Amino acid sequence: MADNAVVDDVIRDPPRALISGSRPVIWLLVAPLVIGLAIFAVYPFIDILALSFSKSSLGRPFQKWPLLTNYLSLARDETFRATLIRTALFAIPVPLIETALGFAIALLLHMHLRGAGWIRGLVLLPLMTPPMMVATAWKLILAPSGGLLDGVLLRSGAIGQPISFLGTMPWAFLSVAIADIWQWTPFVAILSYAALQGMPEDIVEAARVDGASPSRILWHITLPMLAPTLLAILLLRVVIAFKLFDLVYGLTFGGPGFDTTVAAFQVWRTALTQFDIGLGAAQTIVFAILVSVVILPLTWLHRFSEARAG
Amino acid sequence: MSLFETMGLPNSLTRRRFLATGAAAGTAAAFSPWGAHAAPSLSGVTLNLMVIQPHVVGGRIVADGFEKATGAKVNVIAVPNDQILEKVTLDVQSGANVYDVVDYWYGLLGAFAHDGMIVDVTDRIAKEIDGGAFLQSLYDPYTLFDGKRWGLPYDGDSHVLFYNTEIFGRHGLKAPTTWDEYLTAAKTITEAEKGNGIFGAAILGRKEPFQIGCGYANRLCGFGGEFLDKSGKPLLDSDASLAAAQAFLDVAPYAFPTPLETGYEQGLPAFLSGKAAMMEFWTDLGVNAQDPKVSQVVDKWDVTQIPVGGSNTKHRASLDAGFGLAISAGSKNPDAAWELVKYGCSAPVNLAQMITPGTGIDPVYKSTLESEEYRKVAPKVQAAAQQSLNGALVWPNGAQAAKMLQGLADQLALILDKSKTPEKAMKDTQAMWVELLGG
Repeated sequence: MADNAVVDDVIRDPPRALISGSRPVIWLLVAPLVIGLAIFAVYPFIDILALSFSKSSLGRPFQKWPLLTNYLSLARDETFRATLIRTALFAIPVPLIETALGFAIALLLHMHLRGAGWIRGLVLLPLMTPPMMVATAWKLILAPSGGLLDGVLLRSGAIGQPISFLGTMPWAFLSVAIADIWQWTPFVAILSYAALQGMPEDIVEAARVDGASPSRILWHITLPMLAPTLLAILLLRVVIAFKLFDLVYGLTFGGPGFDTTVAAFQVWRTALTQFDIGLGAAQTIVFAILVSVVILPLTWLHRFSEARAG
Repeated sequence: MSLFETMGLPNSLTRRRFLATGAAAGTAAAFSPWGAHAAPSLSGVTLNLMVIQPHVVGGRIVADGFEKATGAKVNVIAVPNDQILEKVTLDVQSGANVYDVVDYWYGLLGAFAHDGMIVDVTDRIAKEIDGGAFLQSLYDPYTLFDGKRWGLPYDGDSHVLFYNTEIFGRHGLKAPTTWDEYLTAAKTITEAEKGNGIFGAAILGRKEPFQIGCGYANRLCGFGGEFLDKSGKPLLDSDASLAAAQAFLDVAPYAFPTPLETGYEQGLPAFLSGKAAMMEFWTDLGVNAQDPKVSQVVDKWDVTQIPVGGSNTKHRASLDAGFGLAISAGSKNPDAAWELVKYGCSAPVNLAQMITPGTGIDPVYKSTLESEEYRKVAPKVQAAAQQSLNGALVWPNGAQAAKMLQGLADQLALILDKSKTPEKAMKDTQAMWVELLGG
């Protein structure tokens, strides 16, 4: 019984239980979590933070401690500033489009194709394809010489000469966005579909009996009830979109110029092609701050919608 | 037992092509890694040879031969071109110590040595190697950093200009000797044959030093420029450098679409399928272009030296890419690893690799470059390379070279993208290099 009381204390208010509790069992209970966090979160963070204040190469970390030099260098670097803005311009609208599209697909599946498991499998196919394969496939579609899309457009007379989709702006940025939407919309669709399946049928039935139209049901019942789930999916997608790397690597390599260079790609270039680990770490810290700034409002919105949904 | 059997070089190709030529065998004997001595017995020893992906076939020739000659077991481990330093560093730092011998790009020599990832072999070379036998244009750049030697030359990469004689014939064009003639040829062909999907030139413009950097370097040496002066000061804002960048930009509209999207994997098939009339590429393309399995231009191509431009009239090559073998700092058996380095970089092995399609290996010895066997297999390439390797353009290879060359590649991409003028881009590159070199 005493142990149950301890567990109850920890569940009810973990920090307070830890601070006030003198019983070793409390510490034993949370020790695996604390150790795990220390190894996988705290240590890497401190290491990256320390690296960001140092002059470090890949093979010789912590050669010197020029402290703010890396950050001052970033502050002067117009290319990096543009990269951060570009990353946000990708990571916010693209997941929004994916969430809208994914939810629409889920709704269609829910309304018309319930139980058709093979279609759900088919929808998941882009998500199960390795990202570099996705990039290769889209590269073949979008290549200016012998590419599928240019071939179709040329034959149909829509264009007079091939368009370099991956070598000119704004096509290159749009191409990366389209490939990302193709790959990740199914992820949203399948999660939204699961949420729709879990919705209590009686509420919808009651609304129907009361004469509510399908659009009223969607706007006034379905969406408010699923809002916390959809916001959670959006939050997840935004975080993943901020970390975009493989599609850029495979499709455009950050070009033309730097026009599709996003933050994760830039950090990779700095740390693992120029071997400037100190500057790469500083870029990572600045990037993490940007992600947090964007994510925080979404998190608050998610909490608010959860509270509102009860 | 023949020298080749002593050295373990196994296949009929080697026997047929190499031993048939007494002069070549004599040359090989002179540069055998073990001289008059028998190969060391390394039975029971296992060595791991890290090679870049394009060197896998060549690496297997080294491994097979070394195994037969010494009794050791050699595993060939391939890594992507752009991950050499990363892989070796992580291997050494983690304590995994998988690699014994490393296939390094000479541009990263300074970074490898500065970070302590490869072993100083100055004394070993002084005792056992005749450095004078290597092509002198590449011996120091490939091996020397901070007054010490860190490896031996393995793949002597330089570019020559390949062109499609059939396409040139259709337009009454001759092999270009200047960058102006090159531009005229590219323009003529593209304007006439673009509708058929044929373009005047393929330009490797992908934003990597190995790719976009080579095109610029070819023009830089053509215009008589250098990356650094004798005191090590950057020369990116020189007249030759600006002319090179401008020449690179000028041909872009007539190149296989689009230069910024063209890497090896797009450029090579374009030339070998007859869709691109000209391409600057490594000399080993001369062997592959004659291989009907991969080439549709067999006997329809020729090769010439990298063109000249401006007031420069002397043809030179640029040491684009180029690799050496070194002992990894993590090797548990550096003595055996050194034997493998010596073997892999020996003249007979170099020649066997050069005349085998798909190895990606080019001459590192004067003897192999001038050998009868190489002349038979790649006569056109041999002539062009022989003429242009003297006084070749050397890329930076110091501790900061990776960052400098990536910065250059970025700025060149901005030129092709028309985001920057050649003047602005080269000025910015110059400033970056000066800062990196502490100037």
